[in-house]
Amino acid sequence: MVIKIIQIIVYPILTFIIGIFFIGLSRKMMARIQRRYGPPITQPLIDLIRFFYQKGISHGSIFNFGVILSLAGSIVVLLFIPFGRMSPLSSSGGLLVILYIMLFAPLGIALSGGEGANPNISIGISRKLILSLGYEVPFLFIILAIMTYYKTTSITEIVKIQQEAGWALFTIPLFLPGIAYLLILPAIIGMRPFDIASAPQEISSGPMVEYSGKYLALVHIEHAFTLFIGIALFINLFLGGATNIGFFFLKMIVLFVIVLIVNAVFPRYRVEQAIKYLWKWPTLIAFVGLILTKIPIF
Amino acid sequence: MSSAFLLKLLLIIAFGGAFLTYVLGKISSTIRDFFAVLVSCILVIIVVYLYGKPVKETFYLGVLGLPLVLRLNMLSWFFALPITSVGALSIIFSLRYIRKREKTDFYYMTMILVNAGMLGIVLSGDLVSFYIFWEIMSWSAFLLISYNRGPALAAGMKYIIMSVVGSAAMLIGIISIYTNYGTVIISDISTHLAAASSGYILFLLILYFVAFGVKNAVWPFHTWLPSAHSEAPSPFSAVLSGILIKMGTYGFLLIMYTIVGLKVFLDLSWGLFSFHYILCWFGAITVVIPTFTALLQNDAKRLLAWHSIGQIGYIIIGIALGTSLGIAGGIFHFLNHATFKALLFLSVGAVEYRTGGVRDLNSLGGLIKRMPITFTGALVGSLGIIGVPLTNGFVSKWLIYKALISQGNPFLAFAALIGTWGTLLSFYKFLHNMFLGQLPEKYKNIEKAPFSMQFPIIIYSLVIIVFGILPGIPLKVINSIDTYFGFESLHINIWGIASETGALNTINIFAAVLVAGVIVWLISRLGVKSKPVPQEDTYAAGSYIPEEKYHYTVDFYNPLYRMIGPYLRDVIDDFYRILAKGVQRVCDRIKRVYAGDVGYYVIYIVLFLAVIILIQVGFKPW
Repeated sequence: MVIKIIQIIVYPILTFIIGIFFIGLSRKMMARIQRRYGPPITQPLIDLIRFFYQKGISHGSIFNFGVILSLAGSIVVLLFIPFGRMSPLSSSGGLLVILYIMLFAPLGIALSGGEGANPNISIGISRKLILSLGYEVPFLFIILAIMTYYKTTSITEIVKIQQEAGWALFTIPLFLPGIAYLLILPAIIGMRPFDIASAPQEISSGPMVEYSGKYLALVHIEHAFTLFIGIALFINLFLGGATNIGFFFLKMIVLFVIVLIVNAVFPRYRVEQAIKYLWKWPTLIAFVGLILTKIPIF
Repeated sequence: MSSAFLLKLLLIIAFGGAFLTYVLGKISSTIRDFFAVLVSCILVIIVVYLYGKPVKETFYLGVLGLPLVLRLNMLSWFFALPITSVGALSIIFSLRYIRKREKTDFYYMTMILVNAGMLGIVLSGDLVSFYIFWEIMSWSAFLLISYNRGPALAAGMKYIIMSVVGSAAMLIGIISIYTNYGTVIISDISTHLAAASSGYILFLLILYFVAFGVKNAVWPFHTWLPSAHSEAPSPFSAVLSGILIKMGTYGFLLIMYTIVGLKVFLDLSWGLFSFHYILCWFGAITVVIPTFTALLQNDAKRLLAWHSIGQIGYIIIGIALGTSLGIAGGIFHFLNHATFKALLFLSVGAVEYRTGGVRDLNSLGGLIKRMPITFTGALVGSLGIIGVPLTNGFVSKWLIYKALISQGNPFLAFAALIGTWGTLLSFYKFLHNMFLGQLPEKYKNIEKAPFSMQFPIIIYSLVIIVFGILPGIPLKVINSIDTYFGFESLHINIWGIASETGALNTINIFAAVLVAGVIVWLISRLGVKSKPVPQEDTYAAGSYIPEEKYHYTVDFYNPLYRMIGPYLRDVIDDFYRILAKGVQRVCDRIKRVYAGDVGYYVIYIVLFLAVIILIQVGFKPW
């Protein structure tokens, strides 16, 4: 019990550090790929502290509440996802619960942004929801394939089986959903070519446009958590999790750098292009994977 | 008082109350309002009192030499409670909603009559009284749907025609059972049917699939629902969507698990195809197509109506799957859908009442500032129907997904899961276009909804959240229905489900969200306090902000509409229209023969006799 409470406290703090580090790393790496010098890696943290001391604006109670709900939702999702050996709440619900608690974060931002009463926000949210419907189709096939193959909905069970029998990414029918997940990973964490929801040059960062001061800080932290969740889920589902935090972090970094390289060279899709892409190859690959898991020879 | 007597009293109060309301309305409208609320509340109290007091069949009337009986078991109690409560809350909501309208006496009478009919359905222990109450319900629902006249009349007509087809199917089923076995009492029929051939059982199941499918709006019998729900007065839409269409669900449960019986029903298969899987796929189609059609709607009530069909799909998948988890999920989803859909219709009703009948999603906006309680109600209802954790909708959907996955049905599970995402998209649009964004100038001075409208909204919101955090309360009753059908018992705790393949603990989730929320709130308190600004003060990159309309609502998901819109034409509705035209043409032909002139008929009779005589003379058959 005491260990669990310590884990519940330590886990979000570690996530915060890793997430913020990732954001700093991404700015630095992007700059280097584009032959600029780039900001120091601690810049996002400095910005966060500054935001807390700046006076911002507020559009009403749901505007404030939504941001808090969104960050709280992200923290709760974390507690269900194994991180090394830490998974403090995973006995209270499996993948299906994770799938639905993951709704809190976008829903909170959407409600909060709605009261912001700025059409840029509404356009951004509409794009974000369309995009999420887009990647949710392959994503559902992927997790259904995993759950059908391992015959469990518990994410700790899935990790345990992989640590005994080998990574899902290198298992015969499951490598297809794994590839599909890699193809949609940028969409899940909102990086190029799928940054259509924020799209700074078109709609002034979309949902973020009205935030300032401490709410902007909270939204940034939420973004860091989303990065962590999207990558950690892939590691747990396909790369066999990890027995300790160090290995887990190593796997995260490798994956994140791959996503960053894609992010650095690809331009942004339009909404229709994104949906067409997501509903074509990733969906097809994941669907074939799901059918193969139903065939008993594997 | 014995429970059997109370059962009869319940129906007497319901029917007597309906007619007395009408009479009292002629004296004073205040007395009538008070009496209508009183009657509906007494019904709730009696039903609550009857909890856990099962009643064996008690004779109350004989018709055509058939004994008609009433009975009460866990299943009918579980349906009777929502029927009476949703009815009572809708009548309380109606007090203000309907006050300035015409024919209010008639309105209240039919409202209570619908309730009485539905109570009769779930309490009747034989198929003849089931049929009689079914018709009372169907026809009084028709009167209420067409209450608003105009387009409502056409909607009501569409509803009643389809409903009559369903009733005809049911009547054929009842007659067939009676001629074969000589009884209409449900418990007797089930013992007889145990020895029946599978062909005959299939025949019965298909007949009842039509009968209950029409009322339940299962694809392909769903076409009456969208216009009927949106044109009816909002408090009745709540009853219609929350409870009335679920009488079809009750019927399905009755025919599948009580009359035909669990074993026979699940064994009904031919090679790869088994009847209950086919039914599941009907459910899956009912989830996916209507949910995404709902995305395209611009009328708030029409959007809700299409979602009613979608949610019915979940219930059908759950109860047709035939496992204890699935049935529990299906029945629980019935209860949950009754709460959140009634809540959503009432919220729209409150908005409609204050804005003067506006329910077009493109012309509202920003109402959260004027109607905060109504917004909260709509938000909780939306979270419930999406199935966000900590609402009751999550638990029932979780049960259904879980049942599908543990049965090894990922494709059905996919249909159910993707339906949830369609629901999320359309309910964000619903909330955003009505309550969020900028408040138009003409609604600047709207008042908040009156208390008689807020009261039902608050009650429903509380129920949704309490059952979401403590799902064990209703699940305990549902579990006893499960065991009554002959399934194994589930491991129910107050906080959810404990099972070998993965548990659900809603209290832990609730505690985690609460603690995380408080911590984040405390952290946000550390920062400098934000300055409240009016809605005009938004960032527009230096451009001019128009005053009247600055709200992104029209074609909210335009890129998506363009992609999926062409695939979502309601072909079934088109088919029915063509069918209706064809029938009309045939009837016109027939009408030419039945000209209404006596001279023609005399000629027909003479011709007929001539043919008879000719046959007799020519072939001597008699």
